[in-house]
Amino acid sequence: MEPIEQQVHSESTVTDASSDHSAASTPATREGLERRRKPRTWETPPAPAPPTHLDDYKSIVGEGEIDELKFLARELKGKKVKMVNSTAVGGGVAEMLNQLVPLLRELEVQTHWDVITGGNDFFEVTKAFHNALQGSDYNLTQHARDIFLMHNEQNRNRIEFSEDFIVIHDPQPAALIRARKESNQRWIWRCHIDLSNPNPEVWGFLRPFVEKYDAAIFSSQSFARQLPIPQYLFYPCIDPLSEKNKDIEDSFVQHVCDEFGIDRSRPIVTQVSRFDRAKDPVGVVQAFKQARKYVDCQLVMAGGGASDDPEGAAVLKEVKEAVGEDPDIILLDLPPWCALEINALQRASTIIVQKSIREGFGLTVTEALWKGKPTIAGAVGGIPNQIIHKLTGALVHSVDGCAYQIRYLLTHPDFARQLGQNGHEHVKENFLMSTNVRRWLLLLRILLAGGAQ
Amino acid sequence: MTTATATATVSPLTSPLTRTPAKPFYFNTSAHLLRITRQKASTLSEFLDALRECPEGSIFQHSFRTLQEHHFIREGFSNDFAHWAVSACNEPSLAEELASVDVREFTSVAQLRERFVQIVEDFLKRSPAAATRAAKETFYFCASDTVVIPTSFVAHSLREFAEGMRGVTVHCIHHHFIEARLRLKLMSNDFSQWLYEDMGLTEAARQLNRIDIYTMTLEDVRNQIIKIVERALI
Repeated sequence: MEPIEQQVHSESTVTDASSDHSAASTPATREGLERRRKPRTWETPPAPAPPTHLDDYKSIVGEGEIDELKFLARELKGKKVKMVNSTAVGGGVAEMLNQLVPLLRELEVQTHWDVITGGNDFFEVTKAFHNALQGSDYNLTQHARDIFLMHNEQNRNRIEFSEDFIVIHDPQPAALIRARKESNQRWIWRCHIDLSNPNPEVWGFLRPFVEKYDAAIFSSQSFARQLPIPQYLFYPCIDPLSEKNKDIEDSFVQHVCDEFGIDRSRPIVTQVSRFDRAKDPVGVVQAFKQARKYVDCQLVMAGGGASDDPEGAAVLKEVKEAVGEDPDIILLDLPPWCALEINALQRASTIIVQKSIREGFGLTVTEALWKGKPTIAGAVGGIPNQIIHKLTGALVHSVDGCAYQIRYLLTHPDFARQLGQNGHEHVKENFLMSTNVRRWLLLLRILLAGGAQ
Repeated sequence: MTTATATATVSPLTSPLTRTPAKPFYFNTSAHLLRITRQKASTLSEFLDALRECPEGSIFQHSFRTLQEHHFIREGFSNDFAHWAVSACNEPSLAEELASVDVREFTSVAQLRERFVQIVEDFLKRSPAAATRAAKETFYFCASDTVVIPTSFVAHSLREFAEGMRGVTVHCIHHHFIEARLRLKLMSNDFSQWLYEDMGLTEAARQLNRIDIYTMTLEDVRNQIIKIVERALI
């Protein structure tokens, strides 16, 4: 086995070759610990980033890919698309539409985005539907059905549906399909949630609406249902040009590490996620402590949700108890707008962990892979779509498994580097915004030509 | 070339550098959209049934197409069926047999399906207890809907062909080099066919056809092709 020192230096992101640490645990400096206790400097949201353009992606995916998008869009020139969802800001769907809609417009596919309206009663019902469709217990009352249908009806009367393609996102506006006219219009239902184990009553209520669409789109094979319409697989994606994922100067990475008292001359294991039991943060601490018996490393747990969510605060408390007085574990409760700092933390990491025990798709895994980081993640939800065990990362099922993979990857840096490289390529091929645009163009073309082959 | 049926139409006496092809090579590519089909399997017995019943597009997706999706992996990945057999069913010997199926030996998806079915049937005869054992993860059969896309690259000479090879995407290479045999119904590929039929470069065509797609990435394949073509240019 190579000495830890050499392993550390052979990792691309760990640069301090002059440091002289032994293989045994090196405690964080007092100065670093003091710094960690200071209030964070990022207290207000920054101005939104300027919109990206298609040509901005050329340097990432190559000119050929962008030419292909332009070719695919040619047949759709002048066609009109309407996207409908339930919120203009906040949440993954709005974030994705904010990026997708301008890119489709740039390709001269006239895309319009409408947001449904509704009172608190409607959104309480749809929130309950959302949870029930993801497996929670729920008693569907006639009153809830009436509220759902009434607000869908109001939106049907308010919104004009004259476009060639109507794309309805998620269950909230699903009943808008009643606005469908007998014409060449194509209606698509884009389901972003996990329908693998839905509450039968709620799904039974929604299913007749879904069956009236021309196609449905799911984020994972396992989320799909048996339906009489074609179902397509659109993986969620990341934007490589966003604050969270764009290339950043190493000096900024160093600055962020200095701010948080992270020692870049020692291996850094990081999990980025909300303080949520589904992400098993206590399990991560346990795995780290097991692994550190054999390899020197620090653990960074960067998350949010502890300040505005009572459950998040409770989970953070549990994590703090598990951490104890360990100076090598750095807990960061960051506000949601700290995308650049998260980016820097991910880039500073030697290994990234996402030890979820329940997961949707797991975009934090996508982000880690995109940054070329060897990634260890729970084999749940959409994670196995991203991590092919031992080829693009390591899948784990337990605390012990996670601890072993941390030790293994820290002591086999060449293998770890290969995983990181493969992971980066996997994201480039399948999980980038440009790939998402390609999928949309393909689907619209296929539906225009009369549907699946 | 032993498998091509056409005969070369260009005189091999002219230098490859100045030779004009009988027809130019148009570089195309293909874009694929994944459709989730009705078939899924939670045991090897269900897997066998689904293999027999699934649309041809599924066999194509999980063998030919998955090579494109994972074009960056140099070793250890052959097709989705083999991957599932080992990762979800813990059946390494079945996985090894499935992984050894070389898509280049098939000029139709129907033949390829038969081969996969035969391997699973034989395995379950030898290991009947494995048939109903629950897999760790369900296998969902998907299929590809495909759109062929022209690129801006056209080769009117061997030099332009080499330039095109440098400029196209790996999807284009997959389209011409791997998927092509299903179109051609030949144990060959579009590049070899053009080099042989339109440029009269029999040896270069043969060398291209011997590139091992299972032990290198598509970028490696691109570099190999360029090397062979450059050697022919000298």
